[in-house]
Amino acid sequence: MRTLNVDSDLAGAARPLRQGTPDNPEQPPLRIKYPAGATITALDGQDLRAMLCAAHANLERHRDAINALNVFPVPDGDTGTNMLLTMQAACQEVISLPQPTVGTLLQRAAHGALMGARGNSGVILSQILRGMARALDGKALCTAADLAKALAEGAETAYKGVSKPVEGTILTVARRASEAAQKAASMDEDLRFVLERVVHAAGEAVNETPSLLPVLAKAGVVDSGGQGLYVLLEGMFRSLQGEAIAAAADARAAAAFEAVDEWGYDIQFLLLPHSPTTDEMTLRERLAMLGGESIVVGSSGPVIKVHVHHADPGPILSLGASLGHLDDIVVENMTLQTLRRRGQAPASTTANVPAAPASPASTISIVAVAPGDGLQSVFRSLGVDAIVAGGQTMNPSTQELLAAIAAVPGSEVIVLPNNSNVILAAQQARALSSKQVVIVPSRTIPQGISALLAHNPQATLAENAQAMEAALQMIETGEITVAVRDAEFDGIQVKAGDVIGLHNDILSARGRTTQEVMEQLLRQMNAADAEIITIYYGKPVSTQEAQALADAVRALYPDQDVELIDGGQPHYHYIFSVE
Amino acid sequence: MTEKTSLGKIDISPDAIAAIASAAVLECYGVVGMASKHPLDGLAELLQRDRARRGVEVSMVDGRIIVDLYVIVEYGTRISEVAYGVMNRVKFSLEQALGVPIAEVNVHVQGLRVSDGS
Repeated sequence: MRTLNVDSDLAGAARPLRQGTPDNPEQPPLRIKYPAGATITALDGQDLRAMLCAAHANLERHRDAINALNVFPVPDGDTGTNMLLTMQAACQEVISLPQPTVGTLLQRAAHGALMGARGNSGVILSQILRGMARALDGKALCTAADLAKALAEGAETAYKGVSKPVEGTILTVARRASEAAQKAASMDEDLRFVLERVVHAAGEAVNETPSLLPVLAKAGVVDSGGQGLYVLLEGMFRSLQGEAIAAAADARAAAAFEAVDEWGYDIQFLLLPHSPTTDEMTLRERLAMLGGESIVVGSSGPVIKVHVHHADPGPILSLGASLGHLDDIVVENMTLQTLRRRGQAPASTTANVPAAPASPASTISIVAVAPGDGLQSVFRSLGVDAIVAGGQTMNPSTQELLAAIAAVPGSEVIVLPNNSNVILAAQQARALSSKQVVIVPSRTIPQGISALLAHNPQATLAENAQAMEAALQMIETGEITVAVRDAEFDGIQVKAGDVIGLHNDILSARGRTTQEVMEQLLRQMNAADAEIITIYYGKPVSTQEAQALADAVRALYPDQDVELIDGGQPHYHYIFSVE
Repeated sequence: MTEKTSLGKIDISPDAIAAIASAAVLECYGVVGMASKHPLDGLAELLQRDRARRGVEVSMVDGRIIVDLYVIVEYGTRISEVAYGVMNRVKFSLEQALGVPIAEVNVHVQGLRVSDGS
C-alpha cells in the first residue's frame, strides 16, 4: 500500500521500462563500456545492470519461440511470457537506482523478481536471482570468481525450492551453467571467457533436456524454461561483448501485458460526513483496510475529498455512503485507459457493456470468454453482458475476468469460460469478487453457446446454473487446427503441418486436409444420429473455403441441418458442434 | 468415486486419488513438503514422502470431487504463484489419471520453510 499526498504523483502509476534512455543522465546508455577484446576482471553495478537489461531484451526477442515450446501440438504455452514479465519486474526495480553497487543491484533485482514472479518458470527465475543476490551481498564489484559463486548459489537456491527436483528442466540448465562457471573461473579471471563458457554449457544442457525428460522427447522439443534461462545468459554475454540488443518489434504485446498489471479503478468523490468524528485519518485507515492504494484524503471545512485506487469501486463507495453523503463521484477504469492509450483496447469494449440493464427485473448478468469477432458477436446476440477476449493461446487473467464481473450491471453473475484453461482463472475471479458468481464450466465454445441457450432470465441463479451445466453435456464439440510441430499425443503420431482434429478437447483425428479430418470427427461424434451441425469457421479460412466444406458436409449428412457461421477465431480453422 | 461402464463399475478410493495428488504436489516448484492438516502443538509438521498423503484431503460433495492440500512452501518464493502452480498441476494430473473433472483444488499453506544458510 502506498499513501501519497500530492495529486500529481497519481499520474506516475505507469512506469514503462525504457531501454537505452536511463533516468540518470551522466550514466552511459545501457551498454558495457569496455572495448572489444579487452580483459574484463571486474564488473560494477552499472555494468551488471546493463547486462540484466540486455538479458531482458534478448528474452523479449525470443519470447514467442519459447512460448511455442509446449508439449502439446496446439500452441498454448506461456513460459516465455512468464519469464519475461518476471525479468521485467526485476529490471524495473533497478533501472533508476543511482550508482548501485553489485550487491544492492542484485538485491533489488531479486526483490523485483520475487514480487513480479509469474508462473512456475518465473518463480524459479526469482529463486536463482535470490541465490545470486545472497552470494554477492555487500560486494561493490563482481569478479569472475564472484560470478561463479553467484551462479552456484543461484542454482542451489533454485534446487532447494522443490522437494522432488525434476532433471531436464531449467534447474538442470542452471546447475550445468554454474558448474561451467566454476571451472572457467579457476582457469582464467576474464569475465568474457567465463561467461562464454557459461552460455556454451547452458546451450548444451538445453539440448540434452529431451534425453532427461521423456515428455519433451515425445513432443520433440527442448525444455522451455531451460531455453529461457539460456537466452537470458546469452543476452548478458552479448552485452558484455559490446552488442546492443534491440528489443523485439512486438514489444507492443509486452506493453499490453504490462498495462494489464496497472489495473483497477480510480475512484474520486466528495464526502459530507454524517458525524463530525469522521475525519481524514480514520477514513484513510478504513480505505487502507479495504485494500485501497494511492490513497489521498484531504478536507476543506466539513467536506472530505477522497481519491483512491481499488480493484472494485463498490466497497469504496459503500464505505463512503455509510459515513455520509457522496457528491461529485468519478470512477474511471485505469486498466482500459492504459490499454487505450497504447492502442491496445479491444475496439468494441464500450459496446460490450450496456449502459444500463435492459430491465430492472433481470439481476443476473452473463460474462463469457471468446476469441474472434464473429464468436464474440454470436455470444453478444445471445444476451451476454460482457465479453472477455481470450481463448486457447491467450488465456485471460483473473484480473480481466474480475474487471468484467465488476463492470456488468447484475449483482449475480454467470461466467462461461469456454476453454478448459480458463476455468481456473474464472474460479479465482469468483473467489475475489464481491458479487454472487457462478461458473458454468464450459470447456469449448459450442458448450458455452448451448449453455447460453438454456439460460432463462426468469429463473434464479441456482436454477440457471443447473440448467446450463446440464446443457453442456448435451453437445459434442469438434475443433480443427494445424499441428505446429511433430509430436505424439494420445497415441496419435502428428507431423508439423498435419491437420488435426479434437473431439471434446481430446486429439482424436489427423489427416492431410481439413475436409478429411472433419469427416473423421463427424463420424466419431455420431453426426448421423444428430439434428443440427453448426460450423464456426476461423481466421485461417476464407469464406469460399468454408462454404465448400459446408457443402461437402451437407452432401454427407443430408438429413441434418448444417449451419455455417463466421467465427473469426484465431488458430482453429473450424470449431463445430453436433447436437 | 464410482464410474459406471457397460461392463461394470470402476471404483477409485479417495486414498488412491490422494496418492496421485501428493505425488503431483511434490513435483511442484516452491513446495518443500506436505503438512498434516491437524497441526500438532500448533506446528505444521513436515511429513515424510510416504506419509505425504496425510496432507491431502479428498471429498465428494454432490458428485463433485474436491481436493484440499496442506503444504509447506519455501520461504522467499511468491506464494500466490506457487499455490496457483499447485492447483494447475494437481488438477491436470488428477484429470489425466482419472478422466473425470476435479471441481476444486484448494491449497492451504500451513507454513514456510526457511532454508537460507545465512
